[in-house]
Amino acid sequence: MLLQLHNIFKWVNSGGQRIFLLKDINFEVREGEFISIMGPSGSGKSTLLNVIGMLDGFDEGEYQFLDEPVHSIKEKHRANLYKEYIGFVFQSYHLLDELTVKENLEMPLLYKKYKGAERKAMVADMLDRFNIVGKKDLFPAQLSGGQQQLVGIARALISNPKLILADEPTGNLNSKQGEEIMQLFKQLNDEGVTIIQVTHSEKNAAYGSRIINLLDGRMI
Amino acid sequence: MLKNYLKIAWRNLTKHKAYTIINVGGLALGMAVALIIGLWMQDELTHNDYFSNKDTIAQIFQSQTFNGETGTGPAIPRPLEKAFRDGYMDNFEHLVMASWNNSQYLKYKETSISRTGNFMQREAPEMLDLNIIKGEKDGLREINSIMLSASTANALFGNEEPIGKVIKVNSQYDMMVTAIYEDIPFNASFNDMHYLMPWDKYLTTAEWLKNAEDQWGNNSFQMFVQIADNTTMERVTSVIKDVKKDLNEDTAQFNPQLMLLPMDDWHLRNFFENGKQVGGRIKYVWLFGIIGVFVLLLACINFMNLSTARSEKRAKEVGIRKSIGSQRGQLINQFLGESFLVVLFAFLIAVLIVVISLGGFNELARKEIDFPWTLPSFWSISILFIIATALLAGSYPALYLSSFRPVDVLKGTFKAGKHSGLPRKILVVLQFTVSVAFIIGTVIVMQQINHAKNRPIGYDREGLVQIPVMSQDFTGKYELMRNEFIASGAVVEMSSSSSPTTNIWSNRSGWTWEGKPEGFQEDLAYTEVSPEYAKSLNLKIVAGRDFSREFPSDSNAVLLNETAVKYMGLKDPVGKLLKDEDTENPSEPLKIIGVVQDMIAQSPYEPVKQGMYTFDKYGNASFYNLRLNPKQSAGQNLAVIERVFKEHFPNIPFQYDFVDEEYGEKFAAEERIGRLSGIFTALAILISCLGLFGLTSFVAEQRTKEIGVRKVLGATVFNVWNMLSKDFLKLVIISCFIAVPIAYYVMNGWLQEYPYRVILKWWIFALAMLGALFVTVVTVSFQAIRAAKANPVKSLRTE
Repeated sequence: MLLQLHNIFKWVNSGGQRIFLLKDINFEVREGEFISIMGPSGSGKSTLLNVIGMLDGFDEGEYQFLDEPVHSIKEKHRANLYKEYIGFVFQSYHLLDELTVKENLEMPLLYKKYKGAERKAMVADMLDRFNIVGKKDLFPAQLSGGQQQLVGIARALISNPKLILADEPTGNLNSKQGEEIMQLFKQLNDEGVTIIQVTHSEKNAAYGSRIINLLDGRMI
Repeated sequence: MLKNYLKIAWRNLTKHKAYTIINVGGLALGMAVALIIGLWMQDELTHNDYFSNKDTIAQIFQSQTFNGETGTGPAIPRPLEKAFRDGYMDNFEHLVMASWNNSQYLKYKETSISRTGNFMQREAPEMLDLNIIKGEKDGLREINSIMLSASTANALFGNEEPIGKVIKVNSQYDMMVTAIYEDIPFNASFNDMHYLMPWDKYLTTAEWLKNAEDQWGNNSFQMFVQIADNTTMERVTSVIKDVKKDLNEDTAQFNPQLMLLPMDDWHLRNFFENGKQVGGRIKYVWLFGIIGVFVLLLACINFMNLSTARSEKRAKEVGIRKSIGSQRGQLINQFLGESFLVVLFAFLIAVLIVVISLGGFNELARKEIDFPWTLPSFWSISILFIIATALLAGSYPALYLSSFRPVDVLKGTFKAGKHSGLPRKILVVLQFTVSVAFIIGTVIVMQQINHAKNRPIGYDREGLVQIPVMSQDFTGKYELMRNEFIASGAVVEMSSSSSPTTNIWSNRSGWTWEGKPEGFQEDLAYTEVSPEYAKSLNLKIVAGRDFSREFPSDSNAVLLNETAVKYMGLKDPVGKLLKDEDTENPSEPLKIIGVVQDMIAQSPYEPVKQGMYTFDKYGNASFYNLRLNPKQSAGQNLAVIERVFKEHFPNIPFQYDFVDEEYGEKFAAEERIGRLSGIFTALAILISCLGLFGLTSFVAEQRTKEIGVRKVLGATVFNVWNMLSKDFLKLVIISCFIAVPIAYYVMNGWLQEYPYRVILKWWIFALAMLGALFVTVVTVSFQAIRAAKANPVKSLRTE
């Protein structure tokens, strides 16, 4: 079992009223699954993804990640857990504009304190694997959207996470580029990486093994 | 990791060039100002550190009270030496009588130069611990010996061995060189002492010096002491303070009080008021220190302001880094590191600026400061200074930036809180308060200088030249020289005087006159002049007549100035007599023959002192005053004068001063302050404007969307400009209202020092405020108009 959510609630208080962002979420994710979270705008998809990714907290419930109780462990421990096992892919890529492709890829390794030679090897490996060796010294602004997202995925994958969280990874891409990215996810999943994606598109959701539908913060 | 940070920092700096120039340039400017001021303060505060006995050396000062007014100065009478040597030597390690610093002609073979120096007693080289390069330290043992500074020896002897050589002084007496000492550095007392001759020799050069041996009222000498190991300055002062009063009845009426002025205080704390030490130049040291701190503070404020303002741009980076696994501590380190990098960079530029501008600054401030490349304490202070500035300027952005929540910033919903702009606003207000206060201060200093410069001085200083008369060679040659000079056509009138036109060297008391109030203790400026004095200076006679060669009795005549007539309470002064108070052995009475207009001889900021001009019977002239022929150029006149001079005094270098330049020297200190504060004001304004410029561009960028929406809804360029400028103008107006009372208070206090001073007018303050507002409008508009003219379609699409 990779992770388990149990009776998760998240809310904000606004004008004396409690507005629920997530309401009683329960589900489990096994290693090797490819899950799509779907639902209309404002249904809580991204919030759920952020909770799973530990970027955001929740107010009630229990969250086990690799049998660690995320809701009760210390911040530092949680950061380590997350650094070790989770990679993020964003809709708008979120590459650092001031760094080249190569340097962007290297950054997560720096935070994990890999040695220089090791980093070099891993970056070279990743560039090779994604066929972007020729672009390694370019800055993000010099790449097309699809290429940027490719770098974004490569960055998420470089430290061999168990789980990739993707928030509408194809949202900013044209259909051809989107399809390529989805193919890539499919391939990664086949290689054993667990993936959870948020998407609007039925077609993209179909790449997954399971779909979770949300409406107003509730699973349906 | 460090490399990654450096890379990001460097690329951020190069990518946003305008921002970098403002940030690094502003900080570098501020640091350069702080550095220069620091070096200047260091130079001032270490004045006299050259002397190893600095802590125990002192000069004897004397306070005396005339008519309830107490004056304090270093002049003391000769009998005091004997009194001290007889009964007080257990307080002193060394005691040295000294002449005033004066210039002499030194001649060796064909080389003749003029140098300033002193006559002192034998222990002087030991007390001052002069650094002897050649010869012996006890070089004043023999009465015919002379010690020279290295530069003087070089000028006289070149590569020849100086020790044992005989030089002619004032073409009068032969002195043998016994020692060469290292030149005393510029930032130390006695830096103009280029020769040292024995005190005993001095006493043989004039009759009156010998006669002064038992004259308690003749305060014409200096005394330096080094106190004994087992005592303190205060204790010695309390022991000696009444020595003169107790030993001499005649002068006891003036209540003479003696005190030690420690060498440490000579340069910075040598002002007295009513016999009390009241500071001095130290005031300016602190004033400039405060200015330096403020300018640096302004630059740091800019740095903080711009960094935090730009933080929203860096927010995304924080979010990404956090989502990839960075911890807050790492981010804090990163941003502090960046700040350190920028500060270091700015420091290097500041050092460059200082190195380039130090020459000009030295000229302006009349200093000889070198850049302290090899001084370890300078570098350690600099490093501390860099770290402190980096922390001061970088900690707020570092803590603020690193606190962002990644979810917020990545979702794009991040907005700085409602009050996040408040510290920024306070900082802008602080900046402009300082700038406006600086503007007002500078304008008032300039006004005060002009006010004093425009004051009528009573005589015509243009085209007036004075030649110092120092050698015995001149004795008895006044008439001859006057005739020769006038005959040459270069001079239309000439006179001699015992003091320079621009100073008073002598004061006298001890007269009685008809109607003198009981117990009145007069104190009159005293100058001995030749008959043509008033004529050569174009000094107006307001009553009676001038001296005349027609009346032989004029040798016992006297001219008073207008102030003296009022001071002495004389109704109808012409024809009255001034009699000697000493009834046993009186000198001949002086008859008042006329009254001359007041002329400013001393400070142009103070009232003219009551003065008398007597006929120079005994040839006591110290200066020839030459009125140049106005029909020829000064250069032509001087060439002729020099030729005539050389015909009669072939052994004496031709020296002269223009009186108007000498008079101008009186403004030097104030002008220096004015110019320096002017420069610092300009820099402060520049730094503040840089900051404002940066902030406006940031605000304009931040409100791009708002501006776009407003334009779509029909706002004009003027509307947008108005909207963006209003906020900043409000802040600057607040600053003005804080700055004006502060500046008024400080400058009013400064002006109190000058009895002749400008009146503070309201328009100075209004002008400074308008100036600040104008600068603000220009700075802000530059960005505001650009933002207002941008195409809204573009700005709205970026969302």
